[in-house]
Amino acid sequence: MSSFGWIDGSIVGLYVLITMAAGLMVRRYVKGVDDFLVAGREMDVHLGIASLAATEFGIVTCMYTAESGYRYGFAGATPGILMALAMFVVGKTGFCVKPLREAKVVTLPELFEKRFGQGVRRAAGIVIVLGGLLNMGVFLRTGGEFLLTVVGFGARLPGGAAGGIEGWAQAHTLELTMTVLLVLVAVYTVLGGMLSVLVTDFLQFIVMSLGLVVVTILILVRIGWEPLARTVSEKFGEAGFNPFANPDLGVGYVLFQACLNLAAVLTWQTTIQRVMAAKDAATGQKVYTGTAFFFVCRFLVPGLWGIAALHMLAPGAAPSTLTAMPTWLSTFVPVGLMGLLVAAMLAADMSTDSSYMLTWSSVIYNDIIAPWRRPGWTEKKGLLMNRLLVGAIGLFLLFYGLWYPLEGDLWAYLGVTGTIYLASMSTLLVACCYWPRANASGAVAAIVVGAVLPVAYLVAERVAPELAKSIGPYWSGLSAYAGAALAMVVGSLLGSPVSKEASA
Amino acid sequence: MSETFWWLLTWACVVWYSTLTVYVAVRGLADIKKMLSHLKPPE
Repeated sequence: MSSFGWIDGSIVGLYVLITMAAGLMVRRYVKGVDDFLVAGREMDVHLGIASLAATEFGIVTCMYTAESGYRYGFAGATPGILMALAMFVVGKTGFCVKPLREAKVVTLPELFEKRFGQGVRRAAGIVIVLGGLLNMGVFLRTGGEFLLTVVGFGARLPGGAAGGIEGWAQAHTLELTMTVLLVLVAVYTVLGGMLSVLVTDFLQFIVMSLGLVVVTILILVRIGWEPLARTVSEKFGEAGFNPFANPDLGVGYVLFQACLNLAAVLTWQTTIQRVMAAKDAATGQKVYTGTAFFFVCRFLVPGLWGIAALHMLAPGAAPSTLTAMPTWLSTFVPVGLMGLLVAAMLAADMSTDSSYMLTWSSVIYNDIIAPWRRPGWTEKKGLLMNRLLVGAIGLFLLFYGLWYPLEGDLWAYLGVTGTIYLASMSTLLVACCYWPRANASGAVAAIVVGAVLPVAYLVAERVAPELAKSIGPYWSGLSAYAGAALAMVVGSLLGSPVSKEASA
Repeated sequence: MSETFWWLLTWACVVWYSTLTVYVAVRGLADIKKMLSHLKPPE
């Protein structure tokens, strides 16, 4: 039985009201496309840290990292350490992100055009949008499952009992809840673009962080460290603390996570959009170094919640490993704090949804439909097109995101679909910034190989599950990174060298 | 050894994250004010 009551409902309502008001208030500052997409490049360090942290932590993050804790113990938080290391090193050295910000582009494909030509820009845009939207496809349903489980509506998820409209509404509580949430987010994102995203991200970061910290302290105080560590030790032995000792994880897992997280830090459009929106390259780098350790928290805090669920729940008490954490939290968190937790998770989800909608629409506008944009388009027309694109992505998410049948390990699914673009785009970015011999032939080869290998794995999962299982998602993902890099080298060496102006 | 590592990391997360939240809440608000003043439409 969930402890969610009217006090909690009031806290959540107040949070939604304040967020909407703040998001809508700043819409009047949007004068043109640059303000809409990159906040006029006026973002400073602390706002950047809040926005990056809020964007990169959604309910889906909380669910899969908690699931990792539930299934693998502390070893499941390893990707967080790898991502924090990658972000700190990139921020400190400016590797790729410095030339990227100094190029004054809005998206990665725009940078690629300077080096590899218009065709590569369009192809990169399509790969980014495809990979990004497929990845985002799981957000709504997973977020809805968390929210409904912690407020005590989880039992209604499979279907309603009554007939008529009431029965239909009961059977579709998840879809209706997430539709309302997405519409609210879409309203302020469509009107205020990146400015609304930054201001609401700031509020959402505070609410989200309060909820995460308070619930974690509650777990550590009421359950204690010792019982949690003992549970991990009893269930997994050394494998619960060391990913190399776990047969389900191992070297392949750690190597894949290292590649995935470095590539994400360098090229994930929602992450690098904070570098683009920063007032200069140094500010962008400071945002990276300042946020780096957050990525340890991003995995370890929900991971600890998952471990607490493993400790407290009787075997079979949760419908699945993914819902174990919210099932347990719904009974553990007291009235009042439950409202803060739900508001925190709503904040996490809203900030992620708004940034993702804006990001993918910016790539579609900037790189995919660019050939059809007339040179004389006014700022007003550009703004209208961007707003329509954000709305269209929202609609896509509603239909694809709420009905996609999620199977298997969520993190593995996110990893493979993300790899569709991370492998090729990171290869293109590194080559574009640091290898003068790189050319369009190499770029096209890297895009094709980097996209084909993860897609082939997804297809194999359906048509030849035994083969897919023997390869595993981690080695499949690693082959995409290695394949894309190799294709870039071979393609560039076989293709004609670039002119001096283009490589400058 | 490995349990101690995760114990230290867990408490580092709690302390660092609490501190960052307060710090960013104060400084981020100033950033928003500055950003909006730069983007303010002409009267």
